[in-house]
Amino acid sequence: MANRRIIVKRRKSVRNIRKITRTMRLIATARFQAALNRATASKPYTEKLAELVADLSGATESIDHPLMQTHEDVKRSALVVITSNRGLCGGYNANVLRSAVPHLDELSSRGVESDVQMVGKKGISYFRFLRRPMVEQSTHIGDRPRFDDVEPIANGLMDRFVKGEIASAYVAYMKFLSVGKQRPVVMPLLPLTQDTLGEDEEAPPRRHVEFEFSPQPMALLDELLPAATRVRLFQCFIDAAVSEQTARMVAMKAATDAASDMITTLTRQYNRARQTQITMELLDIIGGVNALA
Amino acid sequence: MATPDTFQCSVITPERKVLECDANFVAFPAHDGEMGVLNRRAPIVCKLGIGVLRVEIPDPSRPDVRRDKGAGETVKHVLFVDGGFAQVVDNRLTILTQQARKADDLEATAAGQALIEARAMKITDDASFTTRADAIQRAQIQLKLVKPAS
Repeated sequence: MANRRIIVKRRKSVRNIRKITRTMRLIATARFQAALNRATASKPYTEKLAELVADLSGATESIDHPLMQTHEDVKRSALVVITSNRGLCGGYNANVLRSAVPHLDELSSRGVESDVQMVGKKGISYFRFLRRPMVEQSTHIGDRPRFDDVEPIANGLMDRFVKGEIASAYVAYMKFLSVGKQRPVVMPLLPLTQDTLGEDEEAPPRRHVEFEFSPQPMALLDELLPAATRVRLFQCFIDAAVSEQTARMVAMKAATDAASDMITTLTRQYNRARQTQITMELLDIIGGVNALA
Repeated sequence: MATPDTFQCSVITPERKVLECDANFVAFPAHDGEMGVLNRRAPIVCKLGIGVLRVEIPDPSRPDVRRDKGAGETVKHVLFVDGGFAQVVDNRLTILTQQARKADDLEATAAGQALIEARAMKITDDASFTTRADAIQRAQIQLKLVKPAS
């Protein structure tokens, strides 16, 4: 019967989909591992840099740097939104964008215009759909962010901040907390504050060491703070890459499980349909025999 | 663990740890010239320039040899570093740099190309002058590092 054939066909296609999603999950798992390794590998630099900043701020009376100034009269802000280039990763992109849009709305309600720098194809198409303006769109940073790719973005932001074109800079991305937990956040990148610099410092207060500084502490800070900013942005990108793979892993696992469930249901339906058909045929034959007798 | 005449040395870039070893002598390009570090150096925080980092580690096959600086009984790591910071504290030297590449990984053609491009840069103001000078220096040092191998 036609019904039976349709079920077979559907079951076959669901099986194919399951094959694909299972493979995608495996790939995502491998990529996740690699991304996590990269994230771990980048930690020492960040930690050491925070330590250096702490050492230096211990040596100078107060830090006063262009990157730490607030420009209250400037009604412009920048937002870097990190999304993925590929889909099929569950609510990953939607969550990031859902935290970015209210942030933009809130700023604009205070009369602050935001320049959006969108990273990732998914975010670009979403903002196009909403007809929201984007100053810059980049898709070249894949799931393996390189420091050289991120550096120009950070440099551009710092440059504009120091010139007083923007009063603040934010990054919207998916923060990776653990394999089971990621949270979309909008992180302030500029201006730098004492808190943001000491963010990574959970270590107990270190003993005071008399350092020799070359050049003078202030000159060192001039170099150190931009470096810290760059690496903070880089960390965001790395975090986003790890989160993306996790999200895809979870999404593909759910898809594979759902496909398996569906196959079970379809098989059951198919068997029932087959049984019904056989019964019908039998009834036909018996009916025919009875009529002849 | 560090022997009496060695200290820990690690070279870290934003992407990964490039090198982690016990060294008995390290020379790094400071912002104002080359600086050498021996065992038990006083704590220092120093800005780096563009240049060559040399790390001498004791030869593990000859542990009996007394390892003085430049005594020749050492294995050398030569890396190209591009700016950053160096810190010595507690007999640990940490080099933080944006870019650290082993001499073997450098390519003569790429460096040559970079030099040509750097020379072609236009100077319009102070910033572009320093950018050009840095780019040229970077390429020249890389070329110099590559040459002995080829």
